[in-house]
Amino acid sequence: MKLADDPEVEEFRARFSAFLDAHLPTEAEARERPRSSAHVPDWARRWQRALFENGWLLPGRPPEYGGRNATLPQQLAHLEELAHRRIYHSFNPQGLGIIAASLLTFGTDEQKRRWAVPILRAEITAALGMSEPEAGSDLASLRTRAVLAGDTFTVNGQKIWTSGAHDADVLLTFVRTDPDAPKHKGLSALLIPTASDGVVCRPFGSIAAEDDHDFNEVFLTDVRVPRENLVGPLGEGWRVANGSLGHERTLLWLSYAERLQDLVRDAADAGTGQEWYATLLMDLTALRLLGYRQLGPDRNPAEISVLKLLGSEAVQAASLHALEAHGADALPHPARTGPYHHMNNEDFVSSWFERYARSFAGTIAGGTSEIQRNIIAERILGLPR
Amino acid sequence: MEFELDEEQRMLRRTVRETVAKVRPQPEDRQWETYRDLGWLEAPPLELVLILEELGYVADPTPFLATATWFAPLAGRLPEGSGTAVFDGTGHYVLDADRADEIALLTPDGVTVVSGASLGAERVDVLDPHLHVAHVDAGALAVGVPDLALVGLAATGVGACRRILDLVLAHVKQRTQFGRPLGSFQAVKHKAADMHVAVERARALTHFAALTIAEDDPRRSRAAHMAKAAAGECQRLVFRHGLQLFGAMGFTWENELQLHLKRAQACDLLLGTASAHRKALLAV
Repeated sequence: MKLADDPEVEEFRARFSAFLDAHLPTEAEARERPRSSAHVPDWARRWQRALFENGWLLPGRPPEYGGRNATLPQQLAHLEELAHRRIYHSFNPQGLGIIAASLLTFGTDEQKRRWAVPILRAEITAALGMSEPEAGSDLASLRTRAVLAGDTFTVNGQKIWTSGAHDADVLLTFVRTDPDAPKHKGLSALLIPTASDGVVCRPFGSIAAEDDHDFNEVFLTDVRVPRENLVGPLGEGWRVANGSLGHERTLLWLSYAERLQDLVRDAADAGTGQEWYATLLMDLTALRLLGYRQLGPDRNPAEISVLKLLGSEAVQAASLHALEAHGADALPHPARTGPYHHMNNEDFVSSWFERYARSFAGTIAGGTSEIQRNIIAERILGLPR
Repeated sequence: MEFELDEEQRMLRRTVRETVAKVRPQPEDRQWETYRDLGWLEAPPLELVLILEELGYVADPTPFLATATWFAPLAGRLPEGSGTAVFDGTGHYVLDADRADEIALLTPDGVTVVSGASLGAERVDVLDPHLHVAHVDAGALAVGVPDLALVGLAATGVGACRRILDLVLAHVKQRTQFGRPLGSFQAVKHKAADMHVAVERARALTHFAALTIAEDDPRRSRAAHMAKAAAGECQRLVFRHGLQLFGAMGFTWENELQLHLKRAQACDLLLGTASAHRKALLAV
């Protein structure tokens, strides 16, 4: 245990920092704003491609996948540098972090070439078809059915909350291929191009605005999908779903640290002398410390749930305090509560009311806080299921 | 930075854990003698925090905490025998002042060390049966709480909270109602999970604070306030959920849970509660 930074990691950080100084798009170039998490304007595609080609997109990966075989502490430094400067490396985060990552872990060489690399190079964008109207926290109960006949699957069913689906080129979709197997065993993962016949995406507004279109319902009616689009073995979809984040999962807490850092900055005036502001500073420090600790060997993967629960609940608590500190002045909307940055998502510096409402994305998406508590209780504390 | 205990520190923790479990049932002066002979009082800050967490885990009755984290940082040396210190300007509720061999006093003219007997401090009756606190009448005093004193109380409190959580987990795994172990109910699980997160958060901040003292980092004072505040917040949640989940059994004198609840609470109340240290953090 030591405070000093590893010189090799700092050297790595300095090199990345120099790259950013030299290549970052200007505000004038970045005028067109992304309208969903799978809508990537041309300037942002060029930016992501530049990162890919220089090995700075996913530094932990080999050069052919946009990396430079960096160590985990170096990957942390890379993400910290991006967060610190409020820069997004991709405006299709689920494409990069989940779909491409799944393909690199579970896909065939052909799938990596045909789908993963174009996603990483921002030539195409991707969305994740997991949740269904009747399968949220209980994901394994999903019902979308895929029947294999010859070399073609026929898919029927419905997905919901599919972020960015209406702007995406392809969906990584979890389907039931064996209705007779136990519920975790009969699932498979399929790549479904959104241009396929029978795919209908209906975007709907979020709590923030009627026209804030990221969520989608996706209706799949007799959609024909070639067998070569099966990701991982038939019936192994649950393993793909759980392993889809790979080691990127170890660093997911950074997004909460980034939100907390935004709050430290934007709520400084409202928080002057307020105890909740001290709690915010403590939560941020503790999250970072526990996140660094998670880089060590032999960590229990369930500890990721501690980081997610601590981080997402802390963001929500501090957002509410900041909201309340402003009283009725927090009502006007839209409003801006933090500095604009063209390389970041404006949602996170919107009105305090919106920021608090959006904080629930952290405690609901990607496994609710309740599910995280179950995981901690069962897999860390050993309580019976 | 690296925030993982190294092999030596992990080994120390294992050794301390085993030793404390073996020594704790012995008479109090034997326990104290053992810890002194092992050289634990001389441990550097991070190692000291690991030791204190284990002593907090067993509601340690010896004057270890006051000697290592009150007397030593103020006097700049270890005492002959046991020691404590007066540094909060009041002389009230001084840990172990009734039994310390030497007492360091922070006065407007600096630090002076006097023999414990010379102050004639009398022990105050408190709920925690193993805790010694006393009022000291020592003339003009100044304020200057050492960071290590805050971090020592935080580490002890974290140890007590960990013990409470362990006792609760054992209870809810074993106790059956409605034909199921209590621990299979989600209302119980979620409280246990929140206790775990609170302990992990406080422990991380306590280790960090010890590290900043060890390396004399400019953040040391802020880190000490964070550790003390986090341990206090942890205590509040762990006390409430811990006693609640234990049910009526935890409400009895016979059950050892009471010792650890009281130790955890005392560690928050001494030298400023969580609220006081949240305010202090903002003022640094």
